[in-house]
Amino acid sequence: MTTITINGEKREVQASSDTPLLYVLRGELQVMTPKFGCGLAQCGACSVLLDGEEIRACITPISALEGKEVTTVDGLPARWARQKGLPANPARLHPVQQAWVDEQVPQCGICQFGMMIKVTELLEHNAKPSDDDINAALTTSGPSPHLCRCASYAAIREGVHRAAKLIAGGAA
Amino acid sequence: MRNAPDHISIHGARLSRRGFLGTGGALVVALGITPELARATGSASLNAAQPASWIEIHADNTFHLRTGKGDFGQSSIYTAYRQIVAEELSVPVAAITTVISGDTDRTPDGGGTFGLLRNASGNVRKVAAYTREAVLELAAQRFGVPRSAVSVADGVISGGGQQARYGDIVAGQDLRLAIPVSGTLTSFFGLVVTGEPPLKKVADYTIIGQPVMNPIIRPKVSGETVWVGDVKLPGMLHARVIHPATLGSRLIAPGKLDAAQFPSARLVRVGNLLAVVAADEWQAVQAAMAVAADTKWSEWKGLPGSDKLAEHLRGKVDWSVVPATRSAASKGDVATVKAAKSHNASYFVPYFKHAPIGPTVSLADVKADGTVTVHTHTQNAQYLRMAIAKMLGKGEEAVVIRTYPGPGHFGRSNGGNAGSEDEAVLLSRALGVPVRVQWMRADDMQWSTQSSPMVSDIRIGLDEAGVIHSYEATHSGPPMQDDRPIGALLAGLPTIDPPGPGNPSPIHTAKISIADLWVYGAVAHVSETGRGTDQIGMRESPIGVGLRDHSMRTPIQFQQNFPREMAISEAAALAGKDALRFRIEHTDDPRVRAVLERLAVEADWDARPSPSPKARASGEAVVRGRGVSLMLRDSGYWACAAHIAVVPATGEVKVERMTLVVDPGLVVNPLQLRRQAQAGLLMGVSEALHEEVSFDEGAITSSDWYTYPILTMAEAPEVKVVLAPLAGAQGYGQGSESANALAAPAIAGAFLDATGKPARRLPLRPDYVKAMLAS
Repeated sequence: MTTITINGEKREVQASSDTPLLYVLRGELQVMTPKFGCGLAQCGACSVLLDGEEIRACITPISALEGKEVTTVDGLPARWARQKGLPANPARLHPVQQAWVDEQVPQCGICQFGMMIKVTELLEHNAKPSDDDINAALTTSGPSPHLCRCASYAAIREGVHRAAKLIAGGAA
Repeated sequence: MRNAPDHISIHGARLSRRGFLGTGGALVVALGITPELARATGSASLNAAQPASWIEIHADNTFHLRTGKGDFGQSSIYTAYRQIVAEELSVPVAAITTVISGDTDRTPDGGGTFGLLRNASGNVRKVAAYTREAVLELAAQRFGVPRSAVSVADGVISGGGQQARYGDIVAGQDLRLAIPVSGTLTSFFGLVVTGEPPLKKVADYTIIGQPVMNPIIRPKVSGETVWVGDVKLPGMLHARVIHPATLGSRLIAPGKLDAAQFPSARLVRVGNLLAVVAADEWQAVQAAMAVAADTKWSEWKGLPGSDKLAEHLRGKVDWSVVPATRSAASKGDVATVKAAKSHNASYFVPYFKHAPIGPTVSLADVKADGTVTVHTHTQNAQYLRMAIAKMLGKGEEAVVIRTYPGPGHFGRSNGGNAGSEDEAVLLSRALGVPVRVQWMRADDMQWSTQSSPMVSDIRIGLDEAGVIHSYEATHSGPPMQDDRPIGALLAGLPTIDPPGPGNPSPIHTAKISIADLWVYGAVAHVSETGRGTDQIGMRESPIGVGLRDHSMRTPIQFQQNFPREMAISEAAALAGKDALRFRIEHTDDPRVRAVLERLAVEADWDARPSPSPKARASGEAVVRGRGVSLMLRDSGYWACAAHIAVVPATGEVKVERMTLVVDPGLVVNPLQLRRQAQAGLLMGVSEALHEEVSFDEGAITSSDWYTYPILTMAEAPEVKVVLAPLAGAQGYGQGSESANALAAPAIAGAFLDATGKPARRLPLRPDYVKAMLAS
């Protein structure tokens, strides 16, 4: 039995400690936003935040999570509310999610869970990223580029800038 | 309200009142009973208690729309379709609160998810028109005025000084409008709404043309959407399929499953279909890897290998087996033309993968009573239903396909099957419990269908003035319409026949038609020929598999447009003329001219002959160039310019900016079209720079994102999309499908401009580029 913290909640997990987080989230904990894309840390569809840093859930065993906090896209609204000291309001999206709606970023959308996680990490470190910063974050900063087969990259770039503006404007 | 007759004819549709209700009330638009449909009712699982209506009008003034088409990221069924229906009904878009799509037991029309605006939108538009006419007829009765005195605007029906809304007309009643249709529900094309209801005039449009937001984006980004991979059923087992070692291998001996290490796992074999199932997904993954390593398959070598594919197509295929085709644009006599200068070259487009970010996944539940439900992500649910029933030797009434959002795969499942659905059904049947089959990344790369390759031989004759006198092209390749599910093939169970000259199905003849519409009408002599063949390796494979192909975004036209447009750019260079002006000089279509003239402005095009005065084919320094491409598809006119940089010494090509001008006819939704075109264009950059399926003599060797790379964010160039619809266009024209095809020929033209060397094959990856520069 392993205890892990997912989106602010301590959860007890039956799976053996070498099981990758992705299978535990989706199979045991019903946290479905991280998606299976490759199982090889090559695409980013399964990305989650581990203490604020993006990792690939498909290759990260739950034994590596002891004492750390995992955030998925489901947990982004609460993460934002906590950071801003706002009352919990499930209807209020994280600015990155809101920007993704405003800019109509997703096409099929399967990669966007990982994209939004990576962009959240970026904006928590860099409030006003340049296009080069965005390129680096989504291409070279992690174990692999974050891939989008629909090639919605132009929309993602606009989405990041919109999210930065929402955050700077104190989006609530 | 005065008494009305039981049935009213509405432009050939039949409106009936089935009863009066105390509360609620609805008008349901159902299938008309035609002779074709009467025959098909055995296979049309339309439950009378839950009618698969196209449109339902509810007493609260909300509307439901149902369509057999799906969504793969285009948004059309949630944006354009709602706009088209709302426009015909003259109600706000927001009143169409729900779109139900795909599910075979809950949607009316079937057919593949392609040409959503080109042809499929005709169904919803006509249905909406019939519905409006029926409701206005009822309103006329209620108001006690002639029908001609009744009109509707912004959801309010008026006549004789009275007003009502749609919901008021249907309140308290159970109304049914049966509309005429033709076709077969589970055929490739599905049902087509017939008759000619009066359509709203384009000049009166207020909703079509508006930038309506896509309502399914919010639930997707918030995490509320249930995706195909998220569906679970009680007692479900997770399966991983152990696919054969090659595309022609038979199973000799399954590997041993270690029961001590994997206590919940089981091995299942159906012919050459081998799988591991387990209650725990991670255990299924691990057990399948262990068993696969120890499984014995027969050896097979029957493929040319990707490095010899072009040579194979050029020299080793008997192109006389499948009848050749000739384009409608062919004219004059190319054989008798004497040219002052001629361009003569051969071009090659490799196999591409649809390569969805999520490998295909589906869940099947075969019950003891023989009924089958498949939960999947398909572009043609009714056709998949047909394929599953055929595989099982059952009537289609036993099979229901339920659809969910999933990763975009750009045409792969237009034939119903994305891969894994049939495997899930066979495993569920064998085990008596629901089975979820998730393909791994390698399964998807190596066992899904792919986009077919083409070699094209092109000869262009120029006169003394550098004007094209003759154009002759022969496009040769296997077709993109193999609708045989892989699990059924491995299990040795029935499928429809592969594409081939003996196949009676008109879409499965293996013929290659000329899909790339001719745009250079000023050319006097034109000859375009298409030649088809079997799927490569299929006849040689003992299990009849080989390299199965299925439609991928702009199918066949991509393969023919790349060589044509590159050849035109080369001919312009040979004539010493600017590539964009040269195209204008050879067209007689004002819409072609208009998009090219606009492109010259929007792309800041510097008119001059190619190659660039600074062109170089060697050295460490960057050289730059620009190229242009042109396409006509489904009455949509597309022109594109690429600006690129090349480092000759390393063979590195960087695309710096892309400009796209489109005249698609009437734009239904400029917001969504622009987003789709942007992304489609970038997908085309991916295909141009990176994509080629590699395979050896037995198997596909592209297995992951390192061996089948696609475009990354850092490589994504600046993109400019300009919507330039023809003023007064009447047709909806086209969605964004073409956008991806424009990139490769524009980039290849830019490469010629930058280096002075032609790029006659894709992709422009460093090793090929260095070979091109050295030639």
